[in-house]
Amino acid sequence: MASIDIDAPGTSQLFIGNEAIARGALEAGIGFAAAYPGTPSSEIMGSLASIAKKMGIYAEWSINEKVAMEAAAGASFAGIRALASMKQNGVNVISDFLANLVMTGIGKAGLVLVSCDDPSAISSSNEQDTRPLAKWLDIPLVEPGSFQEAKDMTKWLFDLAEEIGTICILRSVTRIAHARGNVKLGKLPKKEQKAYFDQIHDLRNLMPTKFMTVPSALRHAFAHLKLDKARETFESSPFNYYLGPDKAELLIITCGSCWLYSQDAVKALKVEDKVGILKLGTLWPLPEKLIEEHLNKSRNILFVEEIDPFLERSVMEMVANLPEGSRRPTFYGKRSGHMNAYGELNPDLVIKAIASILSVGYQPRDIEYAKKAEETAKSYVPERMMTFCAGCPHRATFWAVKNALKLDGRDGLVTGDIGCYAMALGPAGFFQVRTMHCMGAGTGVASGLGKLGQFGFDQPVLAVVGDSTFYHATIPALINGIYNQSNFVLMILDNNATAMTGFQPHPGTGMTAMGEPTKVVSMEALCRSLGVHVEICDPFDLENSTETLLKMIADGSGPRVVIMRRECELVRGRKEKPPYKVHIDPDKCIGEACGCDSLCTRVFHCPGLIWDKKTGKSKIDEVICTGCGVCADICPQGAIIKEAA
Amino acid sequence: MDTKTKDCKELLTEVIDTGLCTLCGACAGGCPYLVSYKGRIVLLDNCTLSEGQCYEYCPRTYTDMDAISQQVFGVPYSEDELGTTKEVLIARSTDAQITERAQYGGAVTTLLSLALAEGFIDSAIMTRTSDDKTPIAFLAQNAAEVLQGAGSNYMACPVLQSYNHLPKDSNHSLAIVAMPCQALALTKMKKEPPQNRPSIDNVKLVIGLFCTWALSPDGFHQFLRENLDLPQVKKFDIPPPPANRFDAYTSSGTISFPLEQIRKFTMPTCAYCLDMTSEFSDISVGSVEGIEGWNTVIIRTDVGAKLMEMAKAKGKLETDNLPPQNLAHLKEAALLKKKRALKEIVKRSGDKNNLLYVGLSPNLADKLLA
Repeated sequence: MASIDIDAPGTSQLFIGNEAIARGALEAGIGFAAAYPGTPSSEIMGSLASIAKKMGIYAEWSINEKVAMEAAAGASFAGIRALASMKQNGVNVISDFLANLVMTGIGKAGLVLVSCDDPSAISSSNEQDTRPLAKWLDIPLVEPGSFQEAKDMTKWLFDLAEEIGTICILRSVTRIAHARGNVKLGKLPKKEQKAYFDQIHDLRNLMPTKFMTVPSALRHAFAHLKLDKARETFESSPFNYYLGPDKAELLIITCGSCWLYSQDAVKALKVEDKVGILKLGTLWPLPEKLIEEHLNKSRNILFVEEIDPFLERSVMEMVANLPEGSRRPTFYGKRSGHMNAYGELNPDLVIKAIASILSVGYQPRDIEYAKKAEETAKSYVPERMMTFCAGCPHRATFWAVKNALKLDGRDGLVTGDIGCYAMALGPAGFFQVRTMHCMGAGTGVASGLGKLGQFGFDQPVLAVVGDSTFYHATIPALINGIYNQSNFVLMILDNNATAMTGFQPHPGTGMTAMGEPTKVVSMEALCRSLGVHVEICDPFDLENSTETLLKMIADGSGPRVVIMRRECELVRGRKEKPPYKVHIDPDKCIGEACGCDSLCTRVFHCPGLIWDKKTGKSKIDEVICTGCGVCADICPQGAIIKEAA
Repeated sequence: MDTKTKDCKELLTEVIDTGLCTLCGACAGGCPYLVSYKGRIVLLDNCTLSEGQCYEYCPRTYTDMDAISQQVFGVPYSEDELGTTKEVLIARSTDAQITERAQYGGAVTTLLSLALAEGFIDSAIMTRTSDDKTPIAFLAQNAAEVLQGAGSNYMACPVLQSYNHLPKDSNHSLAIVAMPCQALALTKMKKEPPQNRPSIDNVKLVIGLFCTWALSPDGFHQFLRENLDLPQVKKFDIPPPPANRFDAYTSSGTISFPLEQIRKFTMPTCAYCLDMTSEFSDISVGSVEGIEGWNTVIIRTDVGAKLMEMAKAKGKLETDNLPPQNLAHLKEAALLKKKRALKEIVKRSGDKNNLLYVGLSPNLADKLLA
């Protein structure tokens, strides 16, 4: 990661969007940042935490987004500028707090929420747009369309938040968050900050003060007044601008990364003289006067935006309210089918839409060549399925789970959660995970299933959860199971890392975001203090793990806990050498014959194992194999040999 | 019935999931997919092979009785009620240490000990009763270990899984103590030698036990736990008719249950079994009606005959003739089992010409169905 604390105003640095946002927060003089890891937002806190001590600010990985947002709000209440960052799901988690925060207003110091959406859910459980939340809860929202804007908007947003006295949201998407661009740096503030909570509220006097410590439905009206003020500012914001002819055949209204795609598309089609682009940066409340002006530029409006038709519908609403006799343009976008209503956008899709509306042709390359290229690409790229890394403890865990549930014979099932182990929905984890929703959902669902005994339910229920997810959201569901006497086994996969999002520390790892050693919150001590039976297993000991699982699902009522504990291989591999050297004896390997049927490559699926079509035997890929030795324990012929390294 | 070898999915749909599985263990432990666990055969993962040894050796998939009889005895499947026999006699051990622990005459224990002592075999796969009274298969390699297996356990045990578990390059010379279904499976293996399992030529001796039916390990064990103080039980016995009871010998006396109470734990597959006297072994051993402390012994092969001769010559077994009415009774009972089984099979298949897994010559089939 680039260093975001470079003190060289006026120079350009190459930042990913997330670093630019972090830099913007630094330049705004924040003192407090809190977040929970979530792709594509994690680098914001990551880069802030790496320079926090040096810069005299505080940055933390909170236990979940709700606490992160609340903690940041606390800082704002006490006069310290604060930032909270998360992915779209985190915004769901904080929504109750946000709804109430909008009523109270924020403290003297600005509070900014950065939400990074994941179009196409490339690294998410769901695809979801943050922007409608702004409309829903009455919160000003902006979206940067370049890396420079990512920094500049973040910096400015703190001023806006203070000016109108409410939390403001910056919405980003993967292709801004993770792509790189040049960013011109500003000055870094060098002042001491003093925190003090001085708000005294007077319930008899609900004057439209910016901040009142208690929410009140009466303050809803004031929330609207704040929005009106924001709208005024937005009407003349430098983040909204128009590129194109005075009169256009087509007006594109766009925001964020889609602005870059739109420019690419217009250039590719060579229709700069026909198509104008209104790029909006301040999205909610809509700068209606500005938009109205530009609506006159064309009869045809195309909306290009990621995920929901947010601008599209908001502008349509606006147009519906125009005085009688006003021109009604023709709208193109997700509603008309010109842009896809789900899935990530890209320049090709925008080209297609513009070409269709303007009836222009677009042939970037020879059709025959294009077909040939596609075929060739398909044949050279091997099919790779989503799987766990070589040496991942989860592979061993789900092997034990699969066997235990089959041996038990009562059609047991696993309810899943969020993390690398979610891949156990597929062949990587032998299709064991059967449900997956959001953080902590697996245990909640299990808690419900575990009460269905009176309806004849007798299938063993196993809720699987990672260590970070356990602290984030699972504890209430576990306590619910204890209190309401629900019958399930909670299996915590403790690999001592928040692995899926980039190995951020959590309460079980004994390290803070800023690299300071801290108290370990022991998950087994916590569970035992609740009166639950806890077993701890090493997933690499397949026999013991399978046996323990069988025992746990066979007896006992109420929740029971199994902790499958072994460090994430990617973390371990950086610190230590491989424990074993593994190779396959081709004389012992019987490959596809009866007695094996390629168990290791066909079912176990470790990427360190290769199937050699020519010899009809398995081989170890020495580059990928991490020497964990688990495959040696599953080979039915003892052909996989592990030797202590 | 279809005669070709099929895959493990068919094994499940035709045998395991339909109540025909005898838990013999022939399919288990030979690959990572089929294992036995607590009285069930479990499929841990899908195997994609279209033909499996699991299906091939199962005693409840199609079996050409003439062909396998040729393999073991050199003659087609015998029409005799007791199967192919060289000699039928009664025997009892001369070793007090054995008769003390034996169920009846201690013939099996004696013959195995002798075979081990003479180096004819170096190990025997047999069962013993574990501490919780379930049967457990084990490899015995000397007389003391064989003695541990003395005494009957009436619950099914997947003994052949232990054979499959041996390293495939092992060169143990083995004896196996088998139920009739297990002896049948072993014979199918002799006909089509297994791949990637220990060589079937290692199996030098099969001692078969008489069997009317076996009890389901899961269901019956629960009954035992509920009705007995298991650590106190020393021995079980089902005395021959007309006793009609199940006895549990404890340190404080014998507790008996009416046989009717026990019958409901019979494995459903036993209703379709024709073989009462383990027709495909080298030597078959059972009780003697009305004569306590002796075994009925049927010698079927040269291997069996040689071992019996040795046992007599070395004074390990005392022998006598099986009284004629006992022989008549035995044949009657054996024939009755065949007829009952075929009747049930035809009821199940719905077609006189579809005998499910039993490949009999039409002549013999007609005779038995008459």
